[in-house]
Amino acid sequence: MSAHETKYSTVLQTDPLTTSYYVRNLEFWYGDFNALTNISLDVMPSAVTAFIGPSGCGKSTFLRCMNRMNDLIPDTQVGGKMLLKGADIYGSGVDPVDLRRRVGMIFQQPNPFPQSIYDNVAYGPRLQGVKKKRDLDDIVEDSLKRANLWKEVKDILDKNGLAISGGQQQRLCIARVLAVQPEVLLMDEPCSAIDPTSVQKIEDLMAEIKDEVTIIIVTHNMQQAARVSDYTSFFLQEVAGEPAVLVESGKTSDIFTAPIDKRTEDYITGRFG
Amino acid sequence: MRDQFRQDMYGIQDDVVAIMRELLGLTKSSVNALINGDEAVAQEIIEGDDHFDQMTLNIEENVIQLIATQSPVAKDLRFLLSMAFITLYQARIADYAQIIAKSARRSANKPVPQPLIDLIHAQANLVYRVMDATREALEERDLDLALKLPELDEPVDSLNKQFYRELGRLTDEDEIEAASKMVMSARALERIADYCVDTGERLAYFLTGERDLLEAAEAELDPQKII
Repeated sequence: MSAHETKYSTVLQTDPLTTSYYVRNLEFWYGDFNALTNISLDVMPSAVTAFIGPSGCGKSTFLRCMNRMNDLIPDTQVGGKMLLKGADIYGSGVDPVDLRRRVGMIFQQPNPFPQSIYDNVAYGPRLQGVKKKRDLDDIVEDSLKRANLWKEVKDILDKNGLAISGGQQQRLCIARVLAVQPEVLLMDEPCSAIDPTSVQKIEDLMAEIKDEVTIIIVTHNMQQAARVSDYTSFFLQEVAGEPAVLVESGKTSDIFTAPIDKRTEDYITGRFG
Repeated sequence: MRDQFRQDMYGIQDDVVAIMRELLGLTKSSVNALINGDEAVAQEIIEGDDHFDQMTLNIEENVIQLIATQSPVAKDLRFLLSMAFITLYQARIADYAQIIAKSARRSANKPVPQPLIDLIHAQANLVYRVMDATREALEERDLDLALKLPELDEPVDSLNKQFYRELGRLTDEDEIEAASKMVMSARALERIADYCVDTGERLAYFLTGERDLLEAAEAELDPQKII
């Protein structure tokens, strides 16, 4: 285990139930390679948390630990503790599919199904057994509204989800996730491949839904992290081949005005990375 | 990375230091005009009024440009905000030096009691020391020196009080009239030193990210003071 100690401008919680995610001493391996070491972090509910750091610093790997997406990669291993609402997500008896319903994910490239806009959003609720047309209509409308897309697509709901712009597709993916009422939304570089207007709409919707859905966003855009998040965590792999660590974690307002660790300071002010 | 941005920031620091140096010169000239009753020098200073306004405005403009275009954060953000405040203080210091020059113009050729002149002289020398230390702290980004500024400022305040006591002892009508013109100057010198302490406060914030470091230092000097 690394001798590295994370610096926190907020106090780590002692009661896991006050957090959304409660992570302690998390380790992650790709085969023999220890990619992340000794990550301890609270993700607070009803807030946006941003993960920042240079490429290859493990932030996306860590994000994928949070809904067990890494399970799909062969020969990977997780150690330490990761609790969601107090329950171990790597515990026996946890169904990863159910976990991923509770913890939705948005990727860099929008990936709508090659179906109508309506069916994209109704897909999850149908799987959950919602059958009545009127109920589905309500869920579709509500989800598209929350994803800031309704006004643009309300008259073209039968149009193919791949036939709208990239930024609209991304918001459609967000609506699709919101339709199954997740507790957490993981966003992996959600805005790096889309137009600025859609970026603004996504940032707006994050602020609007964060009370109900805990949001965790990985972003390379430092200003976006500063704008949208309440908490920020800075990951860093200092030496190639060595595991990445969590350098510093705390309130975004602290990290972007007076970070504790010099490496955080150097990264966010553009001195490296 | 961001080399140009860094150079621009160093440029701002150089300008702020240069202004501080010029302000010391200006204050000395104003005080000398007052003490020597030199109306011509006083007039020259008064006519150069715009110079400092223009210089501090230029710095403010540069700060705004960098904030708008470079999205500074952390130490860079603290630096730019601190410099913006410091130039504001510098504009005020220039205003107070002007007030001294105006007093010099008004009190030239009038008999001012020697004890008051001596006091102003002594007070001014203390203020020069504060100003020079402020300039050095800015130039060297010296936190320890910034934290010493309240200590350097303290005798300025006590001399200012003594000035008022001396004033109270005067009985001659003419002397009182001439002396009252110098009251403004004593007060102006005291304010100049205060703005230097405020400058140190901003510098300490830039360097550490912590606020109220100087207030804490001041409180140590005077435990009675409530902060």
